[in-house]
Amino acid sequence: MTNESQVKRDSVRNSNGSVIQAENIRKLYGDFAAVDGISFNVEPGETYGLLGPNGAGKTTTMRMLSGLSPVNSGDINVAGIDVVKDNRAVREVMGVVTQHDGLDNGLTVFQNLFLHGFLAGLSRKGSKNRAHEVLEFFGLRDRSKANVYELSGGMKRRLAIARSMMTSPTVIVMDEPSTGLDPQSRNRVWEELAVLKDAGVTVLLSTHYMEEATILCDRLSIMDHGKILDEGTPDQMIERHAPKEVAQLRVTPASLRTVREYLDERSITFREVGALVSVTGVNGDRPDLSGLESVEGVRTSYRAGNLEDVFLSITGRELRDE
Amino acid sequence: MNRAIPTPGIRRRSVTGLWLRHAVSFVRYWKFVITWVLIEPVIILVAVGFGVGKLIGSVEDGVSYAEFVTPGLIIGNAMFHALFETSWNAYNRIDNDVYETALTTPITVTEITMGDILWAVTRSILTVVGTAIVAAMFGWLNGWEAIGILIPAVMVGITFGALGFLFSAVAPHTTFLTLVFTLVASPMFFFSGSFFPISILPDWVEPIAWVMPLTSAVHIARGFALASFDMSHVWAAVYMIVFTAIIWPIAILLLRRRLIK
Repeated sequence: MTNESQVKRDSVRNSNGSVIQAENIRKLYGDFAAVDGISFNVEPGETYGLLGPNGAGKTTTMRMLSGLSPVNSGDINVAGIDVVKDNRAVREVMGVVTQHDGLDNGLTVFQNLFLHGFLAGLSRKGSKNRAHEVLEFFGLRDRSKANVYELSGGMKRRLAIARSMMTSPTVIVMDEPSTGLDPQSRNRVWEELAVLKDAGVTVLLSTHYMEEATILCDRLSIMDHGKILDEGTPDQMIERHAPKEVAQLRVTPASLRTVREYLDERSITFREVGALVSVTGVNGDRPDLSGLESVEGVRTSYRAGNLEDVFLSITGRELRDE
Repeated sequence: MNRAIPTPGIRRRSVTGLWLRHAVSFVRYWKFVITWVLIEPVIILVAVGFGVGKLIGSVEDGVSYAEFVTPGLIIGNAMFHALFETSWNAYNRIDNDVYETALTTPITVTEITMGDILWAVTRSILTVVGTAIVAAMFGWLNGWEAIGILIPAVMVGITFGALGFLFSAVAPHTTFLTLVFTLVASPMFFFSGSFFPISILPDWVEPIAWVMPLTSAVHIARGFALASFDMSHVWAAVYMIVFTAIIWPIAILLLRRRLIK
């Protein structure tokens, strides 16, 4: 966030110009491949997303990239550092936001930041000054002396992100930055991530929120069962895999049978998610649903295809299947 | 096979940074911690020294029971502090992802154990110094040689600091950690020659008592307290060093298995 760190930021690249370079990385737990040979690059200043359901291997991937978990095979380079050979050096340049915040409940907000900065290698004075800066930036200054356990979930998340910025990193990885937050706190986190991006920070994040990936990511990968299924910008992915338009029928329980029969008779494929029946047109044609207009308790609307549809189309499963 | 995580050298800031974290947290809660560092051991010291001491009179020639029991109690209490730090407190740090967060900085698991054990040593010294001053005021520690008790205090911090990790690193839940006290701390506290000379135990129990590292620590402390030494004190020190040299690497291995997946 200062000129000095901006200079540092511009100078750290891998030999192929990227900031994060993962090549065919694998992680086995016994016979189970949590991450099964994935490759991707994150370019300087880019926000890159790993989108996938729980258990897809996102967290394991991020842990390997940040030097917290050894790989079984493959190569990782971050800011010119060979992470497989030197997992300590990568933790000097990378900021990490772990999934569960990992805040220290025995300490105040300020102490959490100060002691993290000191442990990371800043001088005592340097860490104190930086903690004040970061608190200011994340709008947490008036909570400086609060106990961590007194904070709301959104504030804890922002403090965890603030902590990762203590060393003015050029690149940060965030494991599900907004999982479990209410919509308001989520917006706040997204806002702050946008500012970091403006400041030139390279961000790798994982998420299972379609909306989050769409809003934040320049590019993303769809992950499932430890593999990357496809990669591109959100628009490219939607173009490639999602229907242009999806009809959504809000259906009352009483009318559900009529709707099913109507669709079945015309061999229109559909899927049901709760009280919502989604119908995807074939070849971009709007399916003929005119006969349903007269059915009581059915409301029809149309929306554009999104990343949720992309995931469904690639994997045959809902992103939010648990 | 996972590729091994290299740990090139020891990064000093990792150790001092973790130590400072513990110190800051300790100072925040000093009102509570002081009860254990000073008040509790003094209560036990007074009860045993004045109470039991009155019944017993002297143990060896010219040594009152209070003088005999003081170094044992001081060192036994230090053991509780060191053990608690790296078992109970360390378990909470595992459970609350404090180490997980620390590991996002350039720290290794070996350095985590070093920082924590350094803090265990600090706690051991604090409680030993505090309690020893009170004992000296009662006249139960005489002579400048008693300052040497700081040496077994440091040793106890290291040995039992390392030992505590063997439990926290494998504990599935906090109830498991009660084993530290029922299986390790309490038997040692009562059978390590703190309260009575282990020579009065049955012959077959005596070697078992010497296996427990606290016995050696108490023996050394008593040497300083009573200003009488022989080769047995050297062997006791050697035993503690060897014991620690074996369990510390095991502690690192177990903790690494827990934290690095």
